[in-house]
Amino acid sequence: MAIVYSSLVYLGYILIFPGFLFCFVAGMLITGIDRKIVAKMQKRVGPPILQPMYDFFKLMGKETIIPAAANKTAFLAAPIVGLAAMVVIQLFIPVISTPILYGTADLIVILYLLLIPALAEIYGGSASGSPYAGVGLSREMVTIIACELPLVLIFLSVAKTVGNAMGTGLCFSLSDIAAYQAANGSLMLKASMIPAAIAMLLVIPGETGNHPFDAAEAETEICEGMLAEYSGAPLGIYKLTHAIKTFTLTALFVALFLGGIGTGIVLLDALIEFAICVVLTIIFISLVHAVTARLKIEQLFKYYWTAVSAIALISLVLAWFGM
Amino acid sequence: MFKNLITESTAKSPWLFHINSGSCNGCDIELVAVLTPRYDAERFGFKLAGSPRHADIVVVSGPLTQQSLPRTLRAISQVPEPRCIVTIGSCPQSGNVFKGSYSVMAPLSKYVHVDVAIAGCTPKPEAIMDGLVQATEILKEKRKAWLEAKKNGLKDGPKAETEQEVPAAEDIPASGEEVQQ
Ligand code: SF4
Repeated sequence: MAIVYSSLVYLGYILIFPGFLFCFVAGMLITGIDRKIVAKMQKRVGPPILQPMYDFFKLMGKETIIPAAANKTAFLAAPIVGLAAMVVIQLFIPVISTPILYGTADLIVILYLLLIPALAEIYGGSASGSPYAGVGLSREMVTIIACELPLVLIFLSVAKTVGNAMGTGLCFSLSDIAAYQAANGSLMLKASMIPAAIAMLLVIPGETGNHPFDAAEAETEICEGMLAEYSGAPLGIYKLTHAIKTFTLTALFVALFLGGIGTGIVLLDALIEFAICVVLTIIFISLVHAVTARLKIEQLFKYYWTAVSAIALISLVLAWFGM
Repeated sequence: MFKNLITESTAKSPWLFHINSGSCNGCDIELVAVLTPRYDAERFGFKLAGSPRHADIVVVSGPLTQQSLPRTLRAISQVPEPRCIVTIGSCPQSGNVFKGSYSVMAPLSKYVHVDVAIAGCTPKPEAIMDGLVQATEILKEKRKAWLEAKKNGLKDGPKAETEQEVPAAEDIPASGEEVQQ
């Protein structure tokens, strides 16, 4: 009986909160708000906030064309693998300070899981046999490598700071990080962590492939790259994965740097988390989208490996000397 | 429940794919005007898609030159159902000022079913917007017809009726030849 009960609880976690359903609604709303804000900044009326939902449901009803040159299994499996990985990450991220699943090295698991949607897209794109996808996936790989270095530096500096306080050297457990912040106040308030927080905010639009950093999916240039051959439901799932990724990364920022502000009631915390994520999205994704033009892939790479990495490195050095 | 939601969403999220089949660029500029801040078609959910596979509405402008006709038809056949075909300007409807030229193959309706034809040289952005919104209604009708056909056991929907064989480039006679005969 106990096994049935606990497996039902886990199923609820995966399918409803904080898994699929919660991610779906939050991701779609955040993308909708992002599109509306960008439109307002360009003096347009803009689409309704529910527009991403309409797009998703419309794509579910369209015909799915599988190109003759494609590997059918890989072509159709890739989007589902990507979505599943994206939902699993959400289970590891504490809702402000209440973790759902936890272990000793959540941060490292998240680092790997964050790669899977991008890799799935590369896999599906290369299985579609389109030259546009070929160009897109080579650019996507460069984008992943570009964002990975600053992200690792940020995670290390957080792990070192919390590890120093706990006396364990490096602490990669998000539940411990949440507990540390609940006891000592948010990491954002620590002077040595501010550069890492800024670097993380600069990494978010790159990781999600948002506007100035969307060389891999340039729709006016290479027909949305890896998605060029997709249509119907698989395309909808990719769009959903992108939407959830925006929410996941902002939620990860909240968990890493703004923990310890929660009320302890999970649903209220989820609302607060969502509100903070919306604010972060508006400032660091929509605003950047509205005022910049697309970067070339080598400019993107240089930006992340010099400027952003340097900012993250400052934090790491400070943390290493115990400040 | 989901079926209704999908049918409603079909009309609310039409993505456009634009094919220029030898247009003088007048119509293309007006289409861009519809999409940019002044007329902002995105408030109805319109979005320019990069690839025909993402599109719901195919927008064709230009008098269909001999070289571009087979490519236009091929691009149209890559668009997943339900889809709508909209022509902008008088060119794809009649050939307009280019009619009689040896390389002009208009009208488009000779080769595929055209759902909405927006006349004018060039049509006003308001007219284009009106035509596109009409096309979204047709999309919804097509989705309903498709569901109906599925219920009646036709697996691929009513596609077969509207689909016409795409002629290969060499099968299409040049209009110059027709004049000679
Ligand atoms: S209808 Fe007029 S403006 Fe449009 S492509 Fe033809 S000639 Fe140009």
